[in-house]
Formats: sequence, structure tokens, C-alpha cells
Amino acid sequence: MSVKVEASHDGIPHNKVMAIGAVISLVSLYIAIIGTVIGVDYLAFFGGIAAVGALIWGNSTIKKLCSYGIGTGVPSAGMLAFGSGLIALLFASALAGFSIWIVPVAALVIALIVGLFLGWISNSVLNMKIPVMTRSIAELAAVGALALMGLGVVATGTVSFTGIATIEILGVSVYNASYLGAGVIAVSFMLGAIALQHPFNACLGPGEKQDRTNMLAIECGFLSMIIMAVISFVFVSLAAAWISFVVAIIGWAVSYVKYVALSKRDAAAWLDAKPFSDKEE
Amino acid sequence: MSAIAAKPGANAGSFQPIPSVIAIVIAIILVVVAYFLGSSGILAGGAQFVLQTFCLIILGAALIAFGVHFVPVGGAPAAMGQAPGIATGVAMLATGAGLAGLFGGAWAAELGLGVALASGAIGGALMMAITCLMVNISYVFGMGIPAASGKVLKDPITGDLQAAYKSQGTEGHGLPFISYVGGVIGGLFGGLGGTLIYIQLLDFYNVGLPALGFVGAADINMLSVGLAGIFAIGMFLVIAVLSAYNITGTIEGPHDPKFKRFPRAIVAAILASAVCGLVAMLVVALF
Repeated sequence: MSVKVEASHDGIPHNKVMAIGAVISLVSLYIAIIGTVIGVDYLAFFGGIAAVGALIWGNSTIKKLCSYGIGTGVPSAGMLAFGSGLIALLFASALAGFSIWIVPVAALVIALIVGLFLGWISNSVLNMKIPVMTRSIAELAAVGALALMGLGVVATGTVSFTGIATIEILGVSVYNASYLGAGVIAVSFMLGAIALQHPFNACLGPGEKQDRTNMLAIECGFLSMIIMAVISFVFVSLAAAWISFVVAIIGWAVSYVKYVALSKRDAAAWLDAKPFSDKEE
Repeated sequence: MSAIAAKPGANAGSFQPIPSVIAIVIAIILVVVAYFLGSSGILAGGAQFVLQTFCLIILGAALIAFGVHFVPVGGAPAAMGQAPGIATGVAMLATGAGLAGLFGGAWAAELGLGVALASGAIGGALMMAITCLMVNISYVFGMGIPAASGKVLKDPITGDLQAAYKSQGTEGHGLPFISYVGGVIGGLFGGLGGTLIYIQLLDFYNVGLPALGFVGAADINMLSVGLAGIFAIGMFLVIAVLSAYNITGTIEGPHDPKFKRFPRAIVAAILASAVCGLVAMLVVALF
């Protein structure tokens, strides 16, 4: 089973990508939390940066795991990551009752613990016998928790359980229209899971290049952030929502242009087909 | 058989006694931990209620893991008409069936446990029945291939011969009767398990959230519904993907030799749901 097929020779080793992604994600989440603590919500767009950071990390992990041929396709890894990450994230956000500062680190640690259990189950009980399985699934759970938290911050501007479970409508706090009560978290769940599983699934093959796959991960992250920014018009102030929206659009446009350029670089040949030729009248 | 399909080792299907025993022991320890969290008042509702919720969550997860093995999954080879089954991955199919059942059960949650579980099971089974029917219609009338299994000579239910209809160089194609029946049974178990997890978590949060201080608004039930729903989806996906890892790719249905691997997946589901379920219940813990 554990026949490793090297997807590509990475320019940047996995551990370095992991460190970069985790640091981007945690620092951005803490900047967003500073905004919550001092009472402004226009730092909510840092949640999107956190999600992108986590997705870069997760993308590298998926590449490492799926180079072993797990037999169920790349998308299943994304679903497992967000299924376990979600559970860790909501528990961590409930810990905001102690202090809001511990939430991102708590989500990371709890997700790693849950992921270690799931990884051990897949590797030992289910007898997958893949050397990187335990570590990869633990990492993926952490990625799921951080990315989901980042998308939640874009939408609601906060990470605390009370913040995502209630919404003020005309001065009355209600539950049924909140991020949790209205099920908006299911939207961010799917947006994050697809953004995590898509890049390597789309780029895998003999011509896979690390920078191109990472650029696609960034592009998918910002694409998900656009939709969360649109949703955030309900939850945060108008200025904050516009800032998130503009940042997401700019980030997506820049990464998309770069991704197309990288795709053209790696393609054997391309043809800029046009419906009508300019020369013919 | 392609090089990729030949990759799994010879012992990939064997039961692993020592890790399985360790997994069961850890799961029992977690059940005891849940009991003490209930009796010490950290989890609201009393020890008996917490224990019942936790055990039924684990039962639901085991039902999901068992049900996933019935679903005929073809993957990419089925899309090219070279293997029997529905042409997508285990995780996607199980999610479709389970979530259809879960939503069906959630609608009926206020009519009592029995009605909710029945409608959840029927919802999942109905979704799989429609999917299997449409898959066969597109195979037979769209691609022009008959349904034939590559794993058995005769259909175990109808007794129809399979080999005469199987094209050379393929492992069978289409969706034979036994696979159809397997798909419906799989949807039944998946919907039942998903709904069981949802209903238990819903009852638990309805007790736990007011104890945590979420009072003052009349719509606390809506928050419980949102929380229980998203947790049920998350746990369902975890169990479905772990079962998919157990199957390693494709399965034809209950007559496939890979079906015999299901005890392993149930052990895995018991531990995974114990870990995830405990964390999910701790969300409303009173520290």
C-alpha cells in the first residue's frame, strides 16, 4: 500500500511551508482578536488572511499525504480535515469564556489531539500503513480548525462562542439569525473544505509544480473569502464588510492573474482563442 | 487490473487485533470520563442522561460505518464503464445519503424519536434508491452497457448469471440488482445513524445551553438545532471518510469480498465518534 509516488520535487520543504502557513494564520487571527478586544470590527478581513495561510499549509500536507495513493481520492482528505476541525473549533470558541486570547491556540491544540486519534485509527486500526498518515491527519484537522475560524472571523468579526451564537437585531439579541443558529457555518464549512481539497486535486500529475499549486490554494482561499465577505454584511458594520469585500476581491484578482501566468509557464503550448479574428472584417 | 489498483498489500484487508483492542479500551475510558463529567455536574442533565447521549452517538456512528459498506461505489473506473457501481467516491455518496436522511429526520424531530429515526432512515434510503435508478438509466440508455457484476458468478438475490454480460477487460459494469439493494440498505443505515446522532445532540444542547446561561430569548431551540446539525454533519463526514479508507476505493455492495472488512470500520467509528462526541458535548460544559 505504501508505495510513494513523488508528486514533484518541492522547492520549499514541507516543514517550512507548514511553519509559514501556521504563523500567517495565527498572527492574522490574533490581529483580528485585537480588533474584537478594542471594539472595532474593521480588522475582520484578517480572518481571510488567516484562512489563506492555513490553506497553504493544508495544501502542502494534502500533497504529502496523497502522494501515497490513499485510494479514496483527494477530496475525502479535505472533508475529513474540516469535519474534525469543526468539532475542535467550536469547543475552542466555547473556551472564550475564560479568555478570548486562548481561542486560536486552543483550537490548534485540540484539533491536533483529535487529529492524532483519527490518524492513529486510520493507520493502525484500519491498517493503511502509510508512514505520514498520523501526522498528516493531525495537521489537516488543525488546518480545518484554523481555516474555519478565519472564515468565521471574516463573517462575524469575532471568535467567541457568544459572538457567533448571537446577533443583535434592533437592540434585541436573538439566536436564530446568528452565524451558528442560522447555519451560516455550514456555508463556511463547505467553502473551506472545497478550497482545501481543490488545489492539489486540480494540479496533480507529472507536471505538478509547488508554486503553481500554492498559488491556486491562495486563489481558492480568497474566492471563499469573497463569499464570506458578502455574508458579513449581515453581521458586522458596513465599513468592515466593505473592507473585507475589497480585500478579498483584490487578493483573488492578483492571485488569479498570477495563477494563469504560472499555468501558461508550465503548459507545453497554449492558444489564445478568440471568437472573431481582429484582422478579418 | 491497473498498477494503482494492484498497489494495496495482501494483508490490507486483515483485521488488526491489538490496535482494535486498544481502540475499544480507549473508547470505554472516554465513556467513563463522560459519565463522571455528567455526575460531577460539568455536563448538564445528570450522569444518566449524559451517558445515554454519549452511547447513542457511538451507536449512530457504528450504524453509519456499517451502512457505508453497503453502498456500491465505483469511482473513476465506473465513470468509464469499466467497473460496477456509482461513479463517484465513498465520501461523496455516503455524505449524500446520510445528509438527505439527516435532513429528513431533522424535519420530524419534534414528532418523537421513533418517527424521526424512521423518516431519517427512509430519507437516506430514498435518496440512494433514486440515485441508483438514475445511474442505471444513464448506464443502460446513455452508455449502452448492461448491468453485470465482476465479483460473483450469480446475483445472490435473483440468481441471474453475470459472466455472460460482462465485457472483456472490465471488472463488470452498470449497477446489478444486488448492488441496487445494497445501496438502498446503505442509505437506510446511514440516514438512521446520522439522525440518531443529530437527535441526541439536539436533546443534549436543549438541556445544556440554558444551563450555560443562554437564556432570555425564546429561540434557544434554534441555536441547538444549528449546533447539533453542524456537529452531526462534521461527525458524519469523519466516520464516512474513515470507512472509505477501510474500503480503499471501490466496492460493489454486500457481495463484494471487501464487505467482510466492516468490523474494522465499526471499531474505528466507535473510537472516532467517542473522541469527536466527547469534544462536541464539552462545548456546553460548565467549567
